[in-house]
Amino acid sequence: MEKNEISSKIKSILISVLKHENFEMRDDLSAADVDGWDSLTHMIIITEIEECFGVKFKLKELNKLNNMINLLDLVAFKIEQK
Amino acid sequence: MVFYSVEFIQFFVLFFFLYWLVFRQNIKWQNLLLLAGSYTFYALWDWRFLFLLAGSSAITYLLGLYISKTDNEKRQKIFLFIGLVFGLGVLLFFKYYNFFINSFVKVFSAFNFSLDIHTLNLILPLGISFYTFRSISYLLDISNERIKPTSNWVVFFTYISFFPTLLAGPIDKARDFIPQLENKRTFNYGLAVDGMRQILWGLFKKIVIADNCTVLTNYTFDNYPTLPASSLLIGAFFYSIQVYADFSGYSDMAIGFSRLIGFNVTQNFNFPFFSKNIAEFWQNWHISLTTWMSEYVFNPLSFLFRKYKKWGLVIAIIINFILIGIWHGDNLTFILFGFLHGCYFVPLIMKGTLSNSKKVATYNFIPKLNEFIKMAGVFTLVSLTTVIFRADSIKQACHYYTGILSLSLFDKPYLKSVELKTGMITTSFFILFMFIIEWLGRDQQYGIANFGFKFPKTLRWFFYSLLLFFIGMFMNTSGTPFLYFKF
Repeated sequence: MEKNEISSKIKSILISVLKHENFEMRDDLSAADVDGWDSLTHMIIITEIEECFGVKFKLKELNKLNNMINLLDLVAFKIEQK
Repeated sequence: MVFYSVEFIQFFVLFFFLYWLVFRQNIKWQNLLLLAGSYTFYALWDWRFLFLLAGSSAITYLLGLYISKTDNEKRQKIFLFIGLVFGLGVLLFFKYYNFFINSFVKVFSAFNFSLDIHTLNLILPLGISFYTFRSISYLLDISNERIKPTSNWVVFFTYISFFPTLLAGPIDKARDFIPQLENKRTFNYGLAVDGMRQILWGLFKKIVIADNCTVLTNYTFDNYPTLPASSLLIGAFFYSIQVYADFSGYSDMAIGFSRLIGFNVTQNFNFPFFSKNIAEFWQNWHISLTTWMSEYVFNPLSFLFRKYKKWGLVIAIIINFILIGIWHGDNLTFILFGFLHGCYFVPLIMKGTLSNSKKVATYNFIPKLNEFIKMAGVFTLVSLTTVIFRADSIKQACHYYTGILSLSLFDKPYLKSVELKTGMITTSFFILFMFIIEWLGRDQQYGIANFGFKFPKTLRWFFYSLLLFFIGMFMNTSGTPFLYFKF
């Protein structure tokens, strides 16, 4: 799956969970930049991503995520591994 | 030796000159001085637990190196496990040993078994809850490959025992603090002045607000069976303001003193009473503890329960808050306090509106009516739960609540003496003053961070002098220790 496609699907998930579109999908986007993306909504977002792409993350992998490009790379890696 | 005692000021002035004048050229010497200063500071409080502080630091330091050096994942986990068992074990022993023994004896006696286990006359080592959490986060971050361990033992020991934050936080994470210890520090006049200003605001909150509230809340909680509901409700409001002014005042001073020696310490409060819901409140209250718990307890739990979606979050948040409650001490009241705060989150999680709202009055000078109602609601909810936090037992808290739920809620609040009545009026005036200043400075790190910057300098200095005058007015009557020292 192309990174663009992954990015677009993650964007839809963020909009549906956070209920707003006040963010721009860029590589260095972090949770702190997005209104409402906090520790409480984080796990809902992660679960939606897992279901959407049919992958399972490890906690250690999630702990290393710093920004959007890390998340896109991780999802792409997990899809490849399937 | 509290921050505003003559002893501490003498200690700090001497330390400040040695630190910036004698040792400033050599970071190794500067760190050694910081370590020696921190251990001296701790010893002046209670030298008996210095060995525990040093021993705990040494074990964590060595385990951090072992975890990092081995490539064997199983060994890494064993070293981490030893570190967690040791850290939490010491904390549990000193903080909860008697509580567990008493509970066991009670449970067994309910089944007619008599157990002959004696409780111990344990003294809680100062700051243990805070430095243990620093040690644990260090090991967990190494294990999660978020940081590399420091190979400099002086740096690590100083991180654990850094005197401005040793006794009651903020709980800085190693990844934020250790790099500051490893890099050369130069005296920053702006940072130092900002630190002085924050100390002044912290002193005002502690001496003028918190200590004056103490007189009223002690009276209310000592005499609650005889007081009308209106007095009890006001007592609960005053107590929540007391806890806020005491702990945020302490935090402001700790951060201010850190700035004077060139360190940026985590912000611990961000005007929590201007929050519109309970999630926002906890994002702004005791921030260093809640972010610690969120990272190391809530996140793993919510990950574990993620297949249950929102219910998984509910389970994780309730466990998280019960643990936050237990962290405060060995009384069932703290467990109930945490449980109730966890429950406050349930409607927010179910509605899916956790904190995706802008800060209060983002584009306005004053809050809108609905924002004000929400803020008042959060304040009332929090104040009502602080009754449990303050009570000696759940039974006492229940009596207090029963007292509030009566028709005397509409009676005139009763205060026994003229002094108490005057005290209440004066304290209310100062509380209003504090909230107005904090409202005006709510986008800053602390209330007076840039207050009066647009005024002429003389006016600003008049304001600082006024604060000093208020502090001086109540300095002699103040003698209440910081609330969070006992945690």
